[in-house]
Amino acid sequence: MCLLLGGQSTELLAHGVAAGDKGFIQQSSGVLLIPFAYLGAKHMVTGYDHLLFLLGVIFFLYRLKDVALYVTLFAVGHSTTLLLGVLTQVSVNAYLIDAVIGLSVVYKALDNLGAFRTWFGISPDARAATLIFGFFHGFGLATKILDFEMSPDGLVSNLVAFNVGVEIGQVLALSAILIVMNHWRRTASFRPMAYGANVVIMSAGFVLVGFQLAGFFLLRSTT
Amino acid sequence: MTTPTLTPISPSSGSLIRSTLIAIAVAAVLLVTCVLPAEYGVDPTGVGRALGLTQMGEVKLALAEEAANNEAAEASADSVIAAAEAQAGSPKPAVAAVDTSSPSANRVDTTLVALPPGKGGEVKLVMPGGSRVGYVWRITNGVVNYDMHGDSTNAPKNWFVSYKKGQRVAADSGELVAGFNGNHGWFWRNRGTRDVLVRLITSGSYTRIDKHL
Repeated sequence: MCLLLGGQSTELLAHGVAAGDKGFIQQSSGVLLIPFAYLGAKHMVTGYDHLLFLLGVIFFLYRLKDVALYVTLFAVGHSTTLLLGVLTQVSVNAYLIDAVIGLSVVYKALDNLGAFRTWFGISPDARAATLIFGFFHGFGLATKILDFEMSPDGLVSNLVAFNVGVEIGQVLALSAILIVMNHWRRTASFRPMAYGANVVIMSAGFVLVGFQLAGFFLLRSTT
Repeated sequence: MTTPTLTPISPSSGSLIRSTLIAIAVAAVLLVTCVLPAEYGVDPTGVGRALGLTQMGEVKLALAEEAANNEAAEASADSVIAAAEAQAGSPKPAVAAVDTSSPSANRVDTTLVALPPGKGGEVKLVMPGGSRVGYVWRITNGVVNYDMHGDSTNAPKNWFVSYKKGQRVAADSGELVAGFNGNHGWFWRNRGTRDVLVRLITSGSYTRIDKHL
């Protein structure tokens, strides 16, 4: 569900791969760096689950240095499992992976609310959590790429190009999020609304979890 | 050590629990009334149908099923073609000497094959090697994928040679020349959504014509 769906396509909607792109990929073989980078960037920019998680991660990061650190951790995490997942053909059920990605959104919102410290007296290491959830996001990406059925001809180059595209897309999306956040943080409404905003993010995360788990139980046979 | 994510808000445990429950409740309501109806056609409350979302989910499910069926049909056609291609490279059974004696009397047959969506059918002629049959076939109401091929009477199971094939074709005609003693004919598959009818006319020297559905 990380890609917005391609309109009136008759592709398996549950797989969330735009039919036009899948069609292109299945027609293609050989090294196509720019097209695959574009697809990676598109995947990230239109992937609302990745964007929600990123929003949660940078919500209370004020310093650019911290933003860079956390985003790098996330990038290292998802690049690792993206490449490993595709090259080793390890495919986890897309619904389950996307449910975990939904959980990562819930986790990050609760973390922002200080819930773990309040409830358990201890906050999990935010850096480790970002890296580990990065692994899951990468597995989600890998599962979608495996569904693309990329030609083995030029696979590694195209995969790296896709991954570079994912990072470019992430920087683009993050820039937009940061501009809005920085502006919002300077207003008086930020503090009173920050709590509610994270509750909304958490709720959206629960919707993602429910959406994916329902897909897993209802449409398992078609995955 | 300063934690970079240090939260400037520290709500009480009670209000956190309340907020989390509210988040879950809102998510559950959205899922049950909107997401599940729109995505999966599952509508326990009836709200989805009132909003028109359930109908959307049902259309999506039907399309997904259709796409899955098409994919499966294509996969099986591909495997047949792949097998044919694999076989084409291997030695063929000895081509039978051309039968110079007069073959069975020339005959003409019209054969009709009805194909529902997703189904395939075959017509085969029993022909001696080297014999020729003129043919024309035409599809009423659609197009088909086809493979004109032959299998030898004493060849291993599933061995066959493909003479000609095509996708989304409405008609074809020509001459079928048997490369060896055996069964020669056509396989058609209807990948469309409507019933189609294949009308085949054959004329030449063959001893039998059979439909395999």
